[in-house]
Amino acid sequence: MSRATHRLRHLRVAVALLVLAGFTVAFSDFRRLLPAGLGPWLASTQLIPSFVALATGALFALGGVLAILLTLLAGRVYCSALCPLGILQDVISRLADLVRRKPHRLPPAKPLTWLRQLFLWGTVAGVLAGWSGLTLALLDPYSNFGRIAATLFRPVLTLANNLLVDIAAWLALPGPNRIDVPWIGADLLVLLPAAFLVLLTVMTVLRGRLYCNTICPVGTLLGFISNRALFRLRLDQSSCTKCTECLRHCKAQCIDLRTGTIDASRCVACYDCVSACDQGGINYAFNWKPVPAGTAPVTQVNGSPIDPRRRTFLASAVGAAASMTLAGKIARAAETEATLIPALVKSGEDSRAVAPPGAGSVSRFIDRCTSCQLCVSACPTQVLQPALLEYGVAGLLKPRLDYNASFCNFDCVRCAEVCPTGAIERLLPEEKQGVQIGIADFYRDRCVVVTNGTDCAACSEHCPTKAVATEPHGDNLRLPVLHQDLCIGCGACEFACPVKPQKAIIVTGRRVHARAKRLVEKKAVQPKSTEDFPF
Amino acid sequence: MKTRRDFIKTGLALGAGFSFIDLGGVFAAETAPVPNGPPTPDAPRPLLVAVRDGDRVAMLDKALGTLGGIGAFVKPGQTVLIKPNMGWDVPPERGANAHPDLIRRLVTLCREAGAKSVSIFDNTCDQWERCYANSGIAPAAREAGAEIVNGKDESLYRETEIPQGVKLRSAKIHSLVLDSDVFINVPVLKHHHGTLMTAAMKNLMGVIWDRRIYHRTDLHQCIADLLTIRRPALNIIDAYHPMVRNGPRGKTADDLIELRTLLASTDIVAIDAAAAKLLGHQPDQITHIKLAAGMNLGRSDLDQVDIRRFKLA
Repeated sequence: MSRATHRLRHLRVAVALLVLAGFTVAFSDFRRLLPAGLGPWLASTQLIPSFVALATGALFALGGVLAILLTLLAGRVYCSALCPLGILQDVISRLADLVRRKPHRLPPAKPLTWLRQLFLWGTVAGVLAGWSGLTLALLDPYSNFGRIAATLFRPVLTLANNLLVDIAAWLALPGPNRIDVPWIGADLLVLLPAAFLVLLTVMTVLRGRLYCNTICPVGTLLGFISNRALFRLRLDQSSCTKCTECLRHCKAQCIDLRTGTIDASRCVACYDCVSACDQGGINYAFNWKPVPAGTAPVTQVNGSPIDPRRRTFLASAVGAAASMTLAGKIARAAETEATLIPALVKSGEDSRAVAPPGAGSVSRFIDRCTSCQLCVSACPTQVLQPALLEYGVAGLLKPRLDYNASFCNFDCVRCAEVCPTGAIERLLPEEKQGVQIGIADFYRDRCVVVTNGTDCAACSEHCPTKAVATEPHGDNLRLPVLHQDLCIGCGACEFACPVKPQKAIIVTGRRVHARAKRLVEKKAVQPKSTEDFPF
Repeated sequence: MKTRRDFIKTGLALGAGFSFIDLGGVFAAETAPVPNGPPTPDAPRPLLVAVRDGDRVAMLDKALGTLGGIGAFVKPGQTVLIKPNMGWDVPPERGANAHPDLIRRLVTLCREAGAKSVSIFDNTCDQWERCYANSGIAPAAREAGAEIVNGKDESLYRETEIPQGVKLRSAKIHSLVLDSDVFINVPVLKHHHGTLMTAAMKNLMGVIWDRRIYHRTDLHQCIADLLTIRRPALNIIDAYHPMVRNGPRGKTADDLIELRTLLASTDIVAIDAAAAKLLGHQPDQITHIKLAAGMNLGRSDLDQVDIRRFKLA
């Protein structure tokens, strides 16, 4: 048994490293290094995104359900092996140990149950109050990791890639392609994830998995559930010599040698204590039947007839279920609003930010997106950029289309393919090509053709639906002419427009997405093809 | 945005500092040599081959045979650049890019002629990797032994003075255009909402870094001005099914008509003049053709061109 559980730690470390590496590459730039499906597949294992997807009916995502079943089986394995933010903390700890040159010894500590409850129920309340987008974006561990990886790791890895390009060129070997460095600058978009990483690092260095056991609502939910886990780690009092070696290795500060108990709600199932114990004193034990009060160490602390942990567990389960249902209702209401808007022309419902095609409407999108940045990393044109306040406070760091950076590639549906919450609905390419996410406005007085008297039509050239065509103008010139009903708001015209400082064609986002008209033309016959050469 | 651009620039400067590839021309403007240029305007009448009614490969072989074979252009050990039009993320049947069959055949011929290397790139309009892949050109060219070069890597472009340019006085030009021994231009014939037509001359907008400068300054004049730096040794226009409306991107395959034609010439202006006629225009209606002819960069008067016509069926 001892050797078997010993191997568990190796297995946990191996899985965790693979998961962290996979996520890091996925959030950096997996188009070039990893199979396209890996990022979304990894993200589908994550609890909150898959709950959002399942509750809103957007995707049949079972990641969260499986995480709960796994926790019921063996405790918070999820927190040590599958949660990238949890694994990142373990890496930070190891790095801190390297700096200190010896492992940091954490004393056992009491659980901060009230704080955990506050954050868990605060999250539930936030979702119920209709602030799911902001609440989940701030507290979902996966999305917090995503923002750190996409904003802070990605530029560094891109620079490393570009260094490889130079080395390969020097050696005259085929190398990778140079990638534009996704640098956002020292503004809030970088400072927010950076501040979070600093907070996380300080908490980790000082108190191990304190973040997971106070702030993280997923940690708290799984913690309360693991109080009922089928298998739990248990101290074997007969072999324990109270050498405190296990305490030295416990990052959750959850082992109490005086009472001989391990607080299952805080134990993240890292198995470090198991491998640290020479005596084989810590093992997984089957724990389904509640042991009679007072006889087993596990129940000593709560031998009273009313088990507070059971109440917490039940309350958590009910709370999770209720929030999922209600979130679903809220989201479906928003969706109805989105689908009812008939075909277009300016609704007067402008949005400062352009939401990606498949978002349905800005409100639906903000409710469902957890700001994980996976689509921002995956977007081949990099038109998707995190918003600051363009969507309002609730839309903080959610992706928007930035037509200064690029434009939305007509045939591409990559963002929807990777979105783990279904906030960006998976449309078929031909559906996506008809979704009007914004509408262009043409400012004739600024157009080069008018101001300069020379041909341009960069806007029309790039327009995939030919909402921007041209008409004869002046002396053998062609002036852009815009048909707003055909415009899908992809921003190709705005991006291509050469006019400075203000462009002559500018797209405004739609609060509620609509369907653009599609112009069907007959097969071209002019100029009439002859059997001979015209010269 | 500004911050990011500045950062990239700094990064590139740093990169150049410790990279060992030839980046000597990145910051110092330079005048490029014009190897393998076409005949000067005073030379004998330029040759233009027009072939009809065969498949693309058969028409290419016929045209090249008439021009003296690939060996007349590519000598053993030379480096070759083929610049196809592959600016759009659409499949070959949409006619927005040169056809992969043509590029595959051309790469194969260049390799057989002993070319040291054959490179392919385009500074695309749509996302470059999608264009390269979905046009079918990158896979076909790679299979035939070409090197696929990233057209969106700014470090590969060199700021170059254009002393003879009327309005375009300098531009960042792809180093392969400046450095390759042989430069072959393979556009596809299309309608264009801005310039009325796009073929050989307009295709070369894909070798400069910032196209917006052209659009801002004077599109037609800049297209002509670039030719004073280097004209391709060989131009091949894919006019099998030219796009006659909604160009240059096109909306559907209904925007194409079937002409089953291929043009090849050493004279980039003459070939565009002939292409204009295929689309029912007079060469002088296309302003950049008129301007380039006026600058003696080639001939737009087809009476001054030795045209060889072939029908394969």
